[in-house]
Amino acid sequence: MMIDKQARYLQTHEWVRKGPGNAYTVGLTAYAIEQLGDIVYLELPPVGKELQKGDIFGVIESVKSASDMYIPIGGKVTAVNADVPDNPDMLKAEPYGKAWMIQIEASNPAEFDGLMDAAAYEKFLETEAH
Amino acid sequence: MPSNQPKRTPLYEKHCIAHAKIVDFAGWEMPIQYPAGIVQEHLATRKSAGLFDVSHMGRFRISGNQAGAFLDYGLTNYAGGLPMGMSHYTILAQDDGGAVDDAWLYRFESDNYILVVNASNKDKDWKHLQSLKARFTSVVLEDLSESLAMVALQGPQSEAILKGLLTGGALPEPKRNAASVAALAGHKVFIGRTGYTGEAVCFEIMVQADKAGALWDILLAKGAAPIGLGARDTLRLEASLPLYGHEMGLDSEGKTMPILACPTARFAVADSEKKEYVGKAAIQRQLAALERYKKGDFSDSSVLPKRIVCLRITDKGIARQGSPVFCQGRPVGVVTSGTSVPYWKYDDSQTITEHYDQRSVALAYVDCQLTAGAEVQIEVRGKMLGAKIVKRNLKPGAAAMMAVFE
Repeated sequence: MMIDKQARYLQTHEWVRKGPGNAYTVGLTAYAIEQLGDIVYLELPPVGKELQKGDIFGVIESVKSASDMYIPIGGKVTAVNADVPDNPDMLKAEPYGKAWMIQIEASNPAEFDGLMDAAAYEKFLETEAH
Repeated sequence: MPSNQPKRTPLYEKHCIAHAKIVDFAGWEMPIQYPAGIVQEHLATRKSAGLFDVSHMGRFRISGNQAGAFLDYGLTNYAGGLPMGMSHYTILAQDDGGAVDDAWLYRFESDNYILVVNASNKDKDWKHLQSLKARFTSVVLEDLSESLAMVALQGPQSEAILKGLLTGGALPEPKRNAASVAALAGHKVFIGRTGYTGEAVCFEIMVQADKAGALWDILLAKGAAPIGLGARDTLRLEASLPLYGHEMGLDSEGKTMPILACPTARFAVADSEKKEYVGKAAIQRQLAALERYKKGDFSDSSVLPKRIVCLRITDKGIARQGSPVFCQGRPVGVVTSGTSVPYWKYDDSQTITEHYDQRSVALAYVDCQLTAGAEVQIEVRGKMLGAKIVKRNLKPGAAAMMAVFE
């Protein structure tokens, strides 16, 4: 399963990575995308929206269901990737690359260090699968 | 046998070999999708041919010289008038005019019928039919669900595939609902020109359970694509076909939905005054209400306060079962089924292309006065999505593949 070694993770399968610059980039993991199946609709927040860690920042819908997405790190939304809602197929190909979802100006960067790292997330996925 | 043990159809191993994602559906371990995924499976059915395992559905054989009379009494359609080599849509009605289940009745042979019912209702249907059987002493009711498997082959290439495999008998002719006994690659089969996809070219095939795997493999080898329950649902929803538990049965408040609240059900109710049947008095009141509505008279909507309508979502977003529906700010009902479905794009000369897109469609149970053309709003996560009531989202008949958005 594809994983980004630099990113940190939530058990709900969102990832967050440092950069670009002082911002943090947020997306959904390859595992989550595979579990959801065909993605047909994506709703992302507007630029400027203030989010607390754990808030719902968007909704991702497959043919079968709608799922909330949670923000791993609190702060203000500074950029939204408008390409992804227009072309959800890119989530399958590049969940950690071109299919990033939002960028955040973190209000408390220390929150990042408290998240699961790639190794811990991989271990978590093993328990999830069994 | 413990009732919580999930059941498997004779094709379960085939689904595993094909790397299907297996889910529990009505107590059965069934493929929800294969590696191609719901969208590609839906599109394959519309463009070529899709193969479905529908063995989880219940199959009852009704025989004996009172079989026709018994089915006339227990079902809403005119079973006594069903010619040999034909089939029809029918409903097991309650006395109050609600549905125990909807079903398909086949007459492959003169002296017996096969009734196909929903997997989730099978035990209930069996008890219901048994309870009605007392007055028909010479009727034999048998459960063939285990001994007879069932697959559906749907889509424009289906007929060519079956023709190439025919070793005896003939395909059902000439049109939809015809039924025949034939042999495919040496296996005796019962075939109906029926289905649950809205495809004009469609077949459902019953075969002895121990021959199902061989038939499945041959149909795949001839080019059919395996289709899971996920795409089965998007295909039926695009074609506005009802699903018991959504558009029939109990509504979101737990109240019985009158059978004729669902427009498709009209095809399952005999016009004939000839027969007495369970639910007749209530259904006749529903028919009278429909006649009044047709004339624009909505002065008495007590019998059919709401009806199932087909919706096209005009804003970006997806309506789901349970989403409230409003008209000019007034609550008018609720979405019963909704999702995003893919459709093939056509070029200017009406030829199918290699390109597809997605669109958001739904069925909803709304105020009886709302008909095609009405604009409504659907509440999804606190936001209002615009939607329009349409006659259908898919053209019927020969151009069934052509997705319309009128």
